[in-house]
Amino acid sequence: MTIYSKGETLLQVKDLSLTYDNKCILHDINFSIEDIIRPGIQQGQVVSLIGRSGIGKTQLFRILSGLQKPDKGEILVRESTPWSLRPVHAGDMGVIFQNYYQFGWRTVEQSLRLAAHQNKALTGHETEAISEYAAQFDLSDVLKRYPRQLSGGQQQRVSIIQQLLKGSDFLLLDEPFSGLDVCVLDKVVSLLLKVSLSHEFKTLIIVSHDITTTVAISDTVFILGRQPGIEGSTIVRSIDLMERGLAWQDHVHEEKAFVETIREIKDCL
Amino acid sequence: MVSVQIIVLLSIWQSFPAGLIPSPLRIGEALGGLLTSSLLWDNVLVSLLLTLKALLFSVVITLVFAYLSVVPFFRPLAHFIVKCRYLTLTGLIFIFTLLTRDGSQLKLSLLVFGIVPFFTTSFLSVITHTNAQEFELCQTLGYGRWQSLYEVIVVGKADQVFEIVRQNFAIAWMMITMVEGLSMSEGGVGTLLIKYNKYNDLVHVMALQAVIFGLGLFFDHLLGRLRHWFFPYTKL
Repeated sequence: MTIYSKGETLLQVKDLSLTYDNKCILHDINFSIEDIIRPGIQQGQVVSLIGRSGIGKTQLFRILSGLQKPDKGEILVRESTPWSLRPVHAGDMGVIFQNYYQFGWRTVEQSLRLAAHQNKALTGHETEAISEYAAQFDLSDVLKRYPRQLSGGQQQRVSIIQQLLKGSDFLLLDEPFSGLDVCVLDKVVSLLLKVSLSHEFKTLIIVSHDITTTVAISDTVFILGRQPGIEGSTIVRSIDLMERGLAWQDHVHEEKAFVETIREIKDCL
Repeated sequence: MVSVQIIVLLSIWQSFPAGLIPSPLRIGEALGGLLTSSLLWDNVLVSLLLTLKALLFSVVITLVFAYLSVVPFFRPLAHFIVKCRYLTLTGLIFIFTLLTRDGSQLKLSLLVFGIVPFFTTSFLSVITHTNAQEFELCQTLGYGRWQSLYEVIVVGKADQVFEIVRQNFAIAWMMITMVEGLSMSEGGVGTLLIKYNKYNDLVHVMALQAVIFGLGLFFDHLLGRLRHWFFPYTKL
């Protein structure tokens, strides 16, 4: 069993509700994400939000990213100095949209530079940071291209680098595995794992309906579902994969406990 | 293919018995004469300068009001300008004559007044149809309101402004002959056209129309090329 402990709260969702057109979409969403501490490793957090299509995942994604206000409740994120929690604002979270949207009028390099300029820690070193990330993510050859000239995988990597350059600890990904072929899927998975290991507070929140892939790289799973007789969705179950010894394992798919966990999640949906 | 169609059309036209409408050959002869005369090019230059001046003023006025329209306070003003498309210039000539100093100013102000509502309509439509994700990406990057507007509307829509200029050049070029007739002292293709019309010189009227048409097509093509050159992503 891997040794780990949990530290300070990095994100807290409290009593979140959303109605649209007098219809309850989300109600009483409560969960928190804590810093995972592993001796000798900069271990970030990978949390998955799983739910069926049309359950309200996108709305929750938008609220978490600060792009949409909930009707009730709040989302608090870690403030580094002084250590405290404060309400989330648009821009606090790095957001990777499902369609990897980028400014069509900017080359990859220009888009990355815009993001780097937002990060005070990179002031004066933007060019070096862009080159470094581009090399690391195999994008050095496409820096002068426009988004329309990139493949889906390249667009996704540009979106990820852009948000990493911006410097936020949180990275929200909307369906990052949808529409990817097997080879690209493996690359994306290792890419996300690499990102999660880049900093102690780096936290990936993956909103997806691809259960197997998402759970395989997560340390915690929150299941968004419906309770009988209650309108709207809420977190119906949370699973600590670290407790079950299923986090940070290379061949987790082959483990019996993993297969059982997947079945358990499917039963909750 | 198009060339063949034009040749067939002109041949059919040429085969018609001579009447009030001049034959293509006679128009061609007159066109040749016009193209070698300084009279035509002096007048074309006057018209072109006036059109470009009017376009420049119109672009500045439109962009100011269109950009301001994203602020709720200025939105009604921008929408009023859009509605001004339904005001006829003929009914406003007297008022513009009173408001301007000379014929040159009168022509320029009438052209600008004629172009701005159409230009504003097109540009407001571009702004209205902006993809919400463009603003959301700005928000996720931590941009403020003005920074987002600059990136999405000013930088992001610059290629579309250029395309609208191209479309409105056609409107300005079409209106030029009308406004030049109001003050003939400075010349211009409109003045030349009125003179030929006055003496019922249909051959030269048609030849001049061909020149105006050709120049319009040339500038349309040129502006299209320039758009691709300034904004390479529009070619993708």
